[in-house]
Amino acid sequence: MKKGRFLSLTLACALCASMLAGCGGGGQASSPSAGSAGSADNAASAPAKVELTVVTSYGGDDGNRKNYEAAVKAYEKATGNTVADASATSNEEWKAKVLTDFETGTEPDVLFFFTNADAEPFIQEGKVVDLDTIRAAYPDYASNMKDSMMATAADGKHYAVPSAGFWENMFVNTKVLEDCGVKVPGPDYTWEQFLTDCEAIKAKGYTPIACSLFEVPHYWFEFTLLNNGTLTTQMDVPTVDADGKLVMDQTAEKWINGLNDIKDLYERGFFPANTLTATDAETVQLFAEDEAAFLIDGSWKCGYFSDNYADKLGDYAVAYVPAKGERKATEAIGGISMGYFITQKAWNDPAKQAAAVEFVQHMTSDEVLSTFVTTEVTALKNGASPSGLNSLQQTAADTNANITGVVGAVQDTITSEAKTDLFANVQNVVTGQMTAEEAVASAAALN
Amino acid sequence: MGSTLYKKKAPLIIFLAPAFAFLLVFLYYPFIQNVINSVSQITGLGRPAEGLQSPWYANYAQLLADPKLHTALQNTLILIVCTVVFEVGIALVLALLVDSIEKGAQVFRTLYFFPIVISATALGLMFNLIFLYKGGMVNQLLLNLGLIQQAIDWKDSAHFLFTMFSPVMWQYVGFYFVILVTGLNNIPGDLYEAAALDGCDGLRRVRYISLPLLRNVLCTCLVLAITGALKVFDLPWVMFGAGMPQDQGWLTGTYMYDQTFNRGNVDYGSAIAMLIVVLGVILSNLANRVFRPREDIEF
Repeated sequence: MKKGRFLSLTLACALCASMLAGCGGGGQASSPSAGSAGSADNAASAPAKVELTVVTSYGGDDGNRKNYEAAVKAYEKATGNTVADASATSNEEWKAKVLTDFETGTEPDVLFFFTNADAEPFIQEGKVVDLDTIRAAYPDYASNMKDSMMATAADGKHYAVPSAGFWENMFVNTKVLEDCGVKVPGPDYTWEQFLTDCEAIKAKGYTPIACSLFEVPHYWFEFTLLNNGTLTTQMDVPTVDADGKLVMDQTAEKWINGLNDIKDLYERGFFPANTLTATDAETVQLFAEDEAAFLIDGSWKCGYFSDNYADKLGDYAVAYVPAKGERKATEAIGGISMGYFITQKAWNDPAKQAAAVEFVQHMTSDEVLSTFVTTEVTALKNGASPSGLNSLQQTAADTNANITGVVGAVQDTITSEAKTDLFANVQNVVTGQMTAEEAVASAAALN
Repeated sequence: MGSTLYKKKAPLIIFLAPAFAFLLVFLYYPFIQNVINSVSQITGLGRPAEGLQSPWYANYAQLLADPKLHTALQNTLILIVCTVVFEVGIALVLALLVDSIEKGAQVFRTLYFFPIVISATALGLMFNLIFLYKGGMVNQLLLNLGLIQQAIDWKDSAHFLFTMFSPVMWQYVGFYFVILVTGLNNIPGDLYEAAALDGCDGLRRVRYISLPLLRNVLCTCLVLAITGALKVFDLPWVMFGAGMPQDQGWLTGTYMYDQTFNRGNVDYGSAIAMLIVVLGVILSNLANRVFRPREDIEF
């Protein structure tokens, strides 16, 4: 009997212990054991080998994934530390997940993330460390970067060490254009000419524009906004009055006209037949496999095509997005929008602080950053030294040489909720289920 | 020894306590918190509540006026009907067929049950390829057979219900099949032998022996199918994401997830969760009443 009771108690204790087993791990990381004052000492006494949790947007299909993996391996080899990588492809869901991780206390040690309004929630909650604090303990931190090109948060401080910049422009499939008798767009490409070209391409049985309006309408949205405004007004965002009604000023009209331009393209049948249900990957494949002519995308796509369609690079080129109104076709979207953050969680952990600093310094060093860059701008004082350009990258470099103006993406300045709502409603606008004004009002109310 | 164990309650309490604590922490506490969240003002996941909604039932009032939620409810109800008719229906037909063969029944059992063990994410990706617009298996097949001249967008407004529900049906048919086959196996063989002597075989055997004696098992399957359909989330989410096509493809589960995790509308997401719970309780009670097992069925 005693034996049975002992067994019962033992089993019950084992059950309780197993339930509570998962509750322990976070204790060390969350204890604020070291502030900035003691940082240098901590750095000196930090254990040699730790595991850093790192989240970046260099997910599986990112054009720089291989470079990222190589850089991480080099860091691990040089330091003996290990990196628990939880990178994923950047999209609105990923951004929401990263923000949620901060809210629930499961943020990584180092985060490669957008440096704009998207980062404000965790910056304002003091979940990441500013550069001045880090430099007080590690004076050489990000010393290879131009401070003037670093993103400034709403509180006036720098938090992220910038990585490679980006540009967005129009990729063209030269093989399709040639078959349709359409010239590769030049620096004087107009919207009217573009519509004529699209008609010719459609008549030949090709899809003029490769774009998933379900998943990535933002590329066209940025440029149709630019076409209805100017570089200086690009970052203006519509507002609502005290009653929650859209303020009908020039900015609101610009957004409405921009959405209506996309609607016009949709109604003309220039997007893929399944643009409202296709993924970005599907429509990019249309372009890559000579079934679509135009694709607005970012500099990262050069890496994607180089990795996945190396034998077809001669069929692609980077040209200009057609211009309308005051805009010139040589004006594009671009800038440096992402950088490496060190979280307070890692900073306050004596075991991880130095490792996190070392990781960011490694990833943003001149040598490593040069492997990520082909035609993009960087904040490096010495500039990047990319290796030789392939034919697609060369066309991008040639186009960039003619660029007369660059502005950031306005979507980076609005809240995640407003952005999700706006881009989810693009499909409703183009199909007439909602007016452009209603879509803009809905997004403005959430911003 | 056995009687002593049941007389003394202490060991039972010790064994039950961890499970009760588990339920308390991971079910009852989150549920009560969800009720509170649904009447609070919460602007982001993990963020603290900024007081109560004004009025406190604002989210519940919004439920009534939200057209996307109405779409989600409508789709979920269609899914329930499809589940009952096709999932349990096909499973019943398959079970009756497999029960009537003497060799190879075990092979069919394994084959039909197999989809259950594959993760919904993997299945979603697989069916995405099957229904792909360009180069998808279904479109290629139909094009090559000359049945269609142009590829069909299986996720558009005209086809999305079929594309969304058929993988769900396909995955769970095996689950109900196994339950029903087990039920059929429990029917004593001498009943069939006696019936055969009276000249009752084939479809009449099914009509007058198998189905009546299978009633209780069938009722359990129907209740499970109805309550299970309310929880369907993963496969449609992988295949359709946020409401594809054009906000027509929502289910209650996917809509709640989108509001909470993608849009940070935690309080409204909590109100939708409450609606799902209430709907689940009502429907499962209703199903239990309609399909109440009969106690007079004995073998």
